[in-house]
Amino acid sequence: MNVFLAVLRKDLLTEWRSRDRLVAMGVFALIVVIVLYFAAPPGVGSEQRAHVPGLLWVAYVFAAVLGLNRAFALEIENEALSGLALVPADRGWIFLGKAAASLLLLLIIQAGAALVFALAFDVAIGPVALPFAAVAFLGALGLCSVGTLFAAIAVRTTFREVMLPLLLLPLMVPVLLGSVHATNALLQEGTLPWSSIQLLIVTDAVFLIVSFISFEYVLDD
Amino acid sequence: MPPPPPDRAIPVLYRASAVTLGVCAIIYALLVVNAPVDSVQGVIQKILYLHAPCAMAAYLGFLLTAIGGGLYLWKREERFDRFAASAAEVGVLFCTLVLVTGPIWGKGVWGGWWSWDLRLTLTLLLFLIYLSYLLLRSFTESSERTARFAAVYGIVGLAVIPLNYLAIDLAGGRSIHPENLEGGSLGAGMGLPFAMGVITAIVAFSHLLLGRIDIARLRAQLAEREIERDTPGGGGAPWDT
Repeated sequence: MNVFLAVLRKDLLTEWRSRDRLVAMGVFALIVVIVLYFAAPPGVGSEQRAHVPGLLWVAYVFAAVLGLNRAFALEIENEALSGLALVPADRGWIFLGKAAASLLLLLIIQAGAALVFALAFDVAIGPVALPFAAVAFLGALGLCSVGTLFAAIAVRTTFREVMLPLLLLPLMVPVLLGSVHATNALLQEGTLPWSSIQLLIVTDAVFLIVSFISFEYVLDD
Repeated sequence: MPPPPPDRAIPVLYRASAVTLGVCAIIYALLVVNAPVDSVQGVIQKILYLHAPCAMAAYLGFLLTAIGGGLYLWKREERFDRFAASAAEVGVLFCTLVLVTGPIWGKGVWGGWWSWDLRLTLTLLLFLIYLSYLLLRSFTESSERTARFAAVYGIVGLAVIPLNYLAIDLAGGRSIHPENLEGGSLGAGMGLPFAMGVITAIVAFSHLLLGRIDIARLRAQLAEREIERDTPGGGGAPWDT
């Protein structure tokens, strides 16, 4: 547990001092929202409005991939990752610390991007802000859990920037479909579908457990 | 790491499976040619005899990839990694056949090449996961690290299958795919060619898997010999050759 808190504190402190990850993710999410607006401006029909939550989650996923890639790129410098691997504790706690730091950053980006998105696409997120935050949290948890595991892998491949999305996106379908489905129901009908929440909770639990156990094998001995 | 043990069983099994495959393929071809033509779908229905067995072989390949990966993480023996990598490659090959034959049948019967149906989407996602698996292997340096990373990804890839199933079901991707094996939906005279198709696909899968494992084993042996040759005092210097 101490390792978890130490890694979380280290990552947040590093980010607080440089703020490069947060700024890069934020600007990138903003650009994606604007590009998506030009690519698919919302119409008045309910069929066209149904695509809006999907676009928001596309922005979230792209921003998350950018941030996760950066989370381990820093550890490669000066062999910091080897230092982490030497910590005399279960490596799963290192994973949890890194994932929690990435999750906190992504939640900040999600809040900002949702605001811009609501303005750009004329979507009323305010009345459903709390359930929307819950869906965003569950989606972000899924992204950051298995995303952190794969970021630790991708950063030590020869094609690191491309490798993370290649590894992550095919596995993100349950998280994306659950989140988009829930967000859509929230924005269209104002209700939170239990089936989507169940799927997100189960997916997050499976991803967290598998990643916690597997992280042991991802760091070099 | 010690050189891999000379495994003479694999080449022998490979040759035996080649003979078995030849016999199975002839019987299979004769049965498919003589199978009755479906009264509704016409001759295009015969794609089923190739499509469904290939799907079974592909899923078997992905299951074996995860099992091989798990065994590697447990035992740390290279032969399990070679097994997992070979199963993934052969699985992707069969999955490609599934994704090629399916749309051909779909165009003839559904009128469209593709439908975001539950099983189609699930198979496509599996195909993408295992393509990524192979890319990960080719972009990772050091065989030990490659084996570890690939094993983890192969296991997570398998764990996500039931989640993907639930997710696509939730998204309304209810299956319009025919339930060929349920409720006796195969017509009279179609069961035998189908069963032979499954047997032939499994034999073909085993044959290719054994061949691929043997190639991987020989490559590992060659790499070991090159290291020995290039190491001073380690079995001969470059000027000896």
